[in-house]
Amino acid sequence: MRILIVEDERKTAAYLQKGLSESGFVVDVAHRGDDGLHLALTQEYDVIVLDVMLPARDGWSVLAALRQAGRPTPVLFLTARDAVPDRVKGLELGADDYLVKPFAFSELLARVRSILRRGPSRQPETLRVADLEFDFVRHKATRGGQRLDLTPKEFALLSLLAQRHGEVLSRTLIAEQVWDMHFDSDTNVVDVAVRRLRRKVDDAFAPKLIHTVRGSGYVLEERPV
Amino acid sequence: MCSKNVPSESGETAKRRIGETATLSVSPSRRFPVSWRTLSITRRLTLLYAASTAALLLLAGGFLYWTLKSSLEQTRHGLLASKIEVLRLLLREQPEKAQALASEVEHEAGEGHPLKYYLRILDEQDRVLLETPGLEKLIPAELFPPPVEVTAGPLKDVQQKRQAGRSFLLMSVRAPTGTAGREQRTLQIAVDVSAGAALLTNYRNKLLIVLVAGTLFAAVAGGWVARQGMRPLADITKAAQHITASQLHERIAGTQWPRELAELAAAFDAMLDRLEDSFTRLSQFSADLAHELRTPINNLRGEAEVALARSRTAEEYQHILASSLEEHERLSRMIDGLLFLARADNPKAAVERVRFDARKEIEAVREFYEALAGEQDVAVTCEGNAWVTGDPMLFRRAVSNLLANALKHTPAQGRVRVALRPLDDQAVELCVRDSGAGIAPEHLPKIFDRFYRAGHSGAPAAGGAGLGLAIVQSIMRLHGGSASVQSQVGQGTTFTLRFPAGLPPSPAGKMTKM
Repeated sequence: MRILIVEDERKTAAYLQKGLSESGFVVDVAHRGDDGLHLALTQEYDVIVLDVMLPARDGWSVLAALRQAGRPTPVLFLTARDAVPDRVKGLELGADDYLVKPFAFSELLARVRSILRRGPSRQPETLRVADLEFDFVRHKATRGGQRLDLTPKEFALLSLLAQRHGEVLSRTLIAEQVWDMHFDSDTNVVDVAVRRLRRKVDDAFAPKLIHTVRGSGYVLEERPV
Repeated sequence: MCSKNVPSESGETAKRRIGETATLSVSPSRRFPVSWRTLSITRRLTLLYAASTAALLLLAGGFLYWTLKSSLEQTRHGLLASKIEVLRLLLREQPEKAQALASEVEHEAGEGHPLKYYLRILDEQDRVLLETPGLEKLIPAELFPPPVEVTAGPLKDVQQKRQAGRSFLLMSVRAPTGTAGREQRTLQIAVDVSAGAALLTNYRNKLLIVLVAGTLFAAVAGGWVARQGMRPLADITKAAQHITASQLHERIAGTQWPRELAELAAAFDAMLDRLEDSFTRLSQFSADLAHELRTPINNLRGEAEVALARSRTAEEYQHILASSLEEHERLSRMIDGLLFLARADNPKAAVERVRFDARKEIEAVREFYEALAGEQDVAVTCEGNAWVTGDPMLFRRAVSNLLANALKHTPAQGRVRVALRPLDDQAVELCVRDSGAGIAPEHLPKIFDRFYRAGHSGAPAAGGAGLGLAIVQSIMRLHGGSASVQSQVGQGTTFTLRFPAGLPPSPAGKMTKM
């Protein structure tokens, strides 16, 4: 998967490149709007991460030129300006998503992955991670053959973690996806919910599947003991 | 200002340049120096005084001039009429007494009368029969207008002519001789009105002098009066200039001002009150903000410094980085909250308005906090049903902040009740009541201020680093509603949100997320 990052702030560009490369993407970086547009038009990318404020050519104009040239490459906007009209403008121009600075890297990674996952989305009927099994039709989760007694929200949380296993999910993203709460709450609600879920999913079983990534969020994966 | 930068240029170019900059910069009055709107009030008053005086003098002088002129004319015409009458009478009654006629024409003409006059009598073939000596040279018979019949009423066909440097009124009439009108004679009469004309000219010139002098005097006096009148304005300006950001507590209404300015001074002071209040809040806010930023930044800095002081194991580095991430998250949340408040403060900020089931939204929020409440052993209950018009996501956020706040301050086995109540006037009231320790009365008025901590705990208030309740209030303001709080120490606290009625839903298709 190839990603183009167009970002003039060197430190930001550097850590994005590093983080995305380590997550398995091939990353190109441009520091100017015109350079970015040139790369976007001459190379094939799966996602473009585009800053709005850029020298030589701003992000909106890059996006407009890209769409005018008939390129449907998905674009994720980065903006320090958080006003609604800005977002509407970006989305109207054909951006696929946006992130407001400051953002968590895990958030960016999650959004990039969800953009790549778009298209004909097919919810699988069953899913298996290690000995954890889901039956989405019957809203049932079992571990090691034992049925887990979960509330609907706990089921939603566990299936979110399982569907994106191996991926670190931030608390913000979890609150958005499971409870539809699109704002930061200063409380540790998500932590408490995950703690309760762990009791049901991990306490009686080995190996542990749900892991805390300090400062970032949670991940469900099978780790070697 | 601009010409200073281009000293080498000729004066004309430099002047034009000033004109050009003026269109770009501050004052349009530079381009139109005589614009009435930008003219100083003193000048305006002066001009108006002068103009009204000039108009008054012009009217009065014109009237006097006209009176004099018409009275002079009356005298002349009277003389003409009476002379014509006498001559006609003589011609008709006593044609044989040529002697009397001749003496009337040749000797009496103009003698002893302030207006000198001349007479001439012509026969039917226009031959001169009699004339006042000197008339032949002065005004030949052909210069007179054609003769007219004498009628009653004012004289007609009186002509004014300048001849030999003097002004004359000329007239000719037909006059029959004898009672039977056997022969027609033509009477020509000329009145020298030079003296009257000179008098009128003289009078007119004096009136003009009075007009000009009077107007000038009015302008000078008016300027003085206007300056006197405007002095309080200059004083009040000086008083206002005296007030700077560092002396916002000063007021100007204390001085005695004229009635018109007293109102201005009071309005100005009221504005200063509001400004001072905003200033105080702003500087308080900046101080609080700096304080709030200090803690996480201090942590970040200290941790990084200590970490770099010597080499450590990868595990230690991981620990330090994770810890710094937590601080970053805290800072990010604060920025988010501040940005939200700043946007909501923008008077142009508007919210999406849809009609939604408030109970459903509250249940969703309650579900979100279910785990936390369970962990803390606090029961959260909902009651009541209502529909609210507004932004559902902002509604959720407000309820969420209130619930988080309530859960934070309610001890185990406590209870948080969320009640929805439609009011009589279609408005909706939402109460979040906790059974916590309550808030002391002195903290209540400031509880919705940014970063205000009710003093009772070091823990930040819910919903974004001490911004939670401020955000709640902002959301209510955006909806045209209000947020209030009642509290009883030892009993618990109740936050009440009031959503007004009558908000029409906005057209769909706007972004919800704010």
